[in-house]
Amino acid sequence: MNNLKITIGLEVHCQLSTRAKMFCRCGTDYIGKGPNSLTCPVCLGLPGSLPVLNQRVLDLALQLALALGCRILPKVVFHRKNYFYPDLPKGYQVSQYDYPIGVNGSIDYALQGQRKSVRIKRVHVEEDAGKLVHEGMALMPDQSGVDFNRSGIPLAEIVTEPDIRSPEEARECLMMFRSLVRYLEVSDGNMEEGSLRCDANISLSRNPGEMGVKVEVKNMNSFRSVYRALSFEVERQKVLLHEGKEISQETRHWDEIKHVTVSSRGKEEAEDYRYFPDPDLLPFSIDEASLMNIREKLPELPLERKERFMLEYELTESEAGVLVSSKMLADFFEECLKELNKPKTVCNWITTEVLRNLKNLGKNINQSEITPKAFTELLRMIEKKEISGTIAKSVLEEMFTSGMNAREVISKRGISFISSEKELENIVVDVIENNPQSVADYLGGKQKAFNFLVGQVMRQTRGQASPEMVKNVLYKQLSAGG
Amino acid sequence: MTAEEMKNYRVSDYRRILQKGDISPRELVKIFLERCSQWEPFINAFLHLDAERVLRQAEEMEKFPPADEELPQLFGIPVAVKDNICVSGIPTTCGSHILENYVSPYEATVVQRLRRAGAIIFGKTNLDQFAMGSSTESSVFGATRNPLDLSRVPGGSSGGSAAAVASLEVPLAIGSDTGGSVRQPAAFCGVVGVRPTYGRVSRYGVVSFASSLDQVGPLSRFVSDAALLAQVLSGEDPLDSTCAPYPPFSTSDIPSYEETRKMRLGIPREYFSSGVDRSISEEVASAVEKLAKEGFDVIEISLPHTDFALEAYYLVALAEASSNLARFDGVLYGKRAQGVKTLMEMYHRTRIEGFGNEVKRRIMLGTYALSSGYYDEFYLKGMKVRTLVRQDFEKAYEACDILLTPSSPCFPFKLGEKISDPYQMYLTDILTVPSAMAGLPSLSLNCANRDGLPVGLQVIAGPFREDRMFGLALFLEELLSVEPPIPAVPDVKEGDDE
Amino acid sequence: MAHLSRLEFTEQELETFFRDLNNILVHFEKLDTLDLSNVSPTSHITWTSPPVNPDQPVEWGREEEVMRAAPKVEDRYFIVPKIVDKQEG
Ligand SMILES: [Mg+2]
Ligand SMILES: [Zn+2]
Repeated sequence: MNNLKITIGLEVHCQLSTRAKMFCRCGTDYIGKGPNSLTCPVCLGLPGSLPVLNQRVLDLALQLALALGCRILPKVVFHRKNYFYPDLPKGYQVSQYDYPIGVNGSIDYALQGQRKSVRIKRVHVEEDAGKLVHEGMALMPDQSGVDFNRSGIPLAEIVTEPDIRSPEEARECLMMFRSLVRYLEVSDGNMEEGSLRCDANISLSRNPGEMGVKVEVKNMNSFRSVYRALSFEVERQKVLLHEGKEISQETRHWDEIKHVTVSSRGKEEAEDYRYFPDPDLLPFSIDEASLMNIREKLPELPLERKERFMLEYELTESEAGVLVSSKMLADFFEECLKELNKPKTVCNWITTEVLRNLKNLGKNINQSEITPKAFTELLRMIEKKEISGTIAKSVLEEMFTSGMNAREVISKRGISFISSEKELENIVVDVIENNPQSVADYLGGKQKAFNFLVGQVMRQTRGQASPEMVKNVLYKQLSAGG
Repeated sequence: MTAEEMKNYRVSDYRRILQKGDISPRELVKIFLERCSQWEPFINAFLHLDAERVLRQAEEMEKFPPADEELPQLFGIPVAVKDNICVSGIPTTCGSHILENYVSPYEATVVQRLRRAGAIIFGKTNLDQFAMGSSTESSVFGATRNPLDLSRVPGGSSGGSAAAVASLEVPLAIGSDTGGSVRQPAAFCGVVGVRPTYGRVSRYGVVSFASSLDQVGPLSRFVSDAALLAQVLSGEDPLDSTCAPYPPFSTSDIPSYEETRKMRLGIPREYFSSGVDRSISEEVASAVEKLAKEGFDVIEISLPHTDFALEAYYLVALAEASSNLARFDGVLYGKRAQGVKTLMEMYHRTRIEGFGNEVKRRIMLGTYALSSGYYDEFYLKGMKVRTLVRQDFEKAYEACDILLTPSSPCFPFKLGEKISDPYQMYLTDILTVPSAMAGLPSLSLNCANRDGLPVGLQVIAGPFREDRMFGLALFLEELLSVEPPIPAVPDVKEGDDE
Repeated sequence: MAHLSRLEFTEQELETFFRDLNNILVHFEKLDTLDLSNVSPTSHITWTSPPVNPDQPVEWGREEEVMRAAPKVEDRYFIVPKIVDKQEG
């Protein structure tokens, strides 16, 4: 009874990063726009309107399918999935059926240092539906409202084989999907904003040789809820099996507030989508040349890059993991290394200070003012002990907010920092002359007196010299004098 | 200008008198409006005809006369538009309750092309609901009658456009042809009707019946006018992905009589079978004989799957239609049933009250053909037979350049005669459906009159060979010199008819 | 089938309908006499590769007209009877 086999498969929808919708020229940037403002005859399904494919949809989907190692089908055919729902203006969704973009791929991810692989059944593209609202200021309790701004936005759907064995794996695999789509820049992969959505099929069985009854879980809006919802299902089904009860094949919705899955009312009839080739859209053939072109331009993928970072730069798994979680960040890291070949140092600063500043500003690295050149210049100053780490942190912060480089920040603050031991010498000599007692104490073997002298120098320099350098110069002067 | 004078006027003649200033655009449209007020009470060809709007368009033309330039191709020429084609500012009803007051917020590409060519959008013509029918009887706004015999149907579904042209309410009209909806009414009303190659003319703004078959085409009294209209309508459209990115058809490509005479004519024997009225087969055969005497190379050929085309056509067309008509659900536009409480009630009642019987029947059949378990037996089979039909034509065009057939198996029938037997109605499309399935350009012209009823002859060419099709049709028109009909206004007082 | 097409009929209507439908369906049996095992289906008539859109948004600008004419609109939303359950669709 304890050796229940858990089988999970994922169905991931991600919004493709196009500027215009899939079959019309309406914009996709609907966040913050009034309801039904980004619409036209095509995405409203007005009588007589016809779809024309946005070329970029194919390009992005092909990149995604190739990155997932899929076999690309030579022809792209769009099918109509027929069903009635108020958010579906044409009474059908343009999707794909027996000619998806790609089939038989796989995605790899690492969990606790172990590399795992999940087979991909298919990758296809389809149009999104509108958005339903059930509550709102002007809505009566017996009404629902529809906003078609999202209608016709391109989605890629990725269906995995049921190769996932635990809720942890499911979460990890989904996170890998996100970093993959971000890497490829085919989607922003944002689960909270709904540009990455995930449904799961889960079944438990006593007999490892067979599959249990499949339950579909929907409405999971974050990585955490994917983990929680599937963990809840595992427990729920375990109890049922333990009690010798049947598990019914059904769709369940994750309740984010109560932390339970709830059965959707059973379907009265099996859905019959009556798929057939959309006669308004002619099939596209995919030629080998353009495929080669896309394949050549594919970036190094996150898992490969992570493994390379660990090997080439001797980073830990978690360090490399943080860096490759975003392609921009990993690119930034490697750009920095061209300026300053100290992987460990650069990595430490990026994974702590840089990320902290970005988070505070709500920006990503490309949106920020920091360039690899400016950033590594700062690191080099620390390296040369021209400034202290503490000061560097506050300088970096100002670099982020002002866009100035390190030297500009420092001179703006009206503090000329001491960049050479020579500049320090005068101050040190001064301090030695003015504190004969402490000098005597030090020469008498009192270490504390040395620290006092360091402090005096630091005060004189108003903190603009690095303690290392001060100690160094002081030591030299005292030795020389003694 | 009297009807007697106008009966031989081609578009080029109207242009000439407009150019010379013998008549102003406003005077010209007034003549046609006058014809409409005489004829409409009897034939009901128009669903929407706004005299003021028409006059305003004519006035605009007068305001901006293209000084000293060649006038645009259709300058000041009234063109009637079938009511399943979207025109800005006036209703597009598809002859159905569900779109009764629907005004499209955008305009069809073909209508914009007409405007650009200087045409006057005259009004919207009657049709079978959603272009589903062959008699124009299923319009919720009443049937259209055949101006040649008011007891008979004008054919369909573009019956309004055909009747308007035949009665000279307008010199030109456009219709849509899915399985014969331009050619069959043209044959019934004794005028010229053209179905262009699939992909020749944009479908953007044409309410879809069966997307892989629908094509907009001209109706006129003369072949040359149809060719001119085809030139204006055709050409690529970035708004329709099924519209071929080819340059538009040009009338200057039409071969001369001498070149035309070199064409090899194929006569498919299946089109002269027992299902076709004897008189019709005879008249078409006699026209072919005349061509042979002119020196044409005439060969008998076979299109063996002709007999299966009709069934296959209905499977494909209705499957597509069931999906195309799903959007009429009362959510965004059109009529929503009153007092509905639940979503399901809204869907059911809106659609049951909004659609006519034939539309419901076809949606049901199409849904059936696509449903799981029946897809292979019905829809897939339809698509496979379509391949065979297409291949028949491909093979035929290895042996000949043009095919000649009758356009309709029967003469225009009486109102009410076939409305209760859907299959009998479907059979009237039997000769126009195969070339539609293959996407080929085909044209119907009047080749004879028998007891006052016209006989349509169909000219079918290879893909994008409208040049050959019009070339032969022009030759035939001249050779046969069958007068286009100009029926006398019925001698009944207005209103007596209904 | 009626439910799938979101149509609803009375008993009597259904009877006539089924009679008509059956009368039509029998004719389709004619196709069974053809051997179609090696025939590929024609779903589209194609002569060329289809045109595509560039990925550049263009504003339509006439949404208001659609909303003004719609059966029911509140606060720029198209209004329908309350959706009780996703599965209803
Ligand atoms: Mg999907
Ligand atoms: Zn749009």
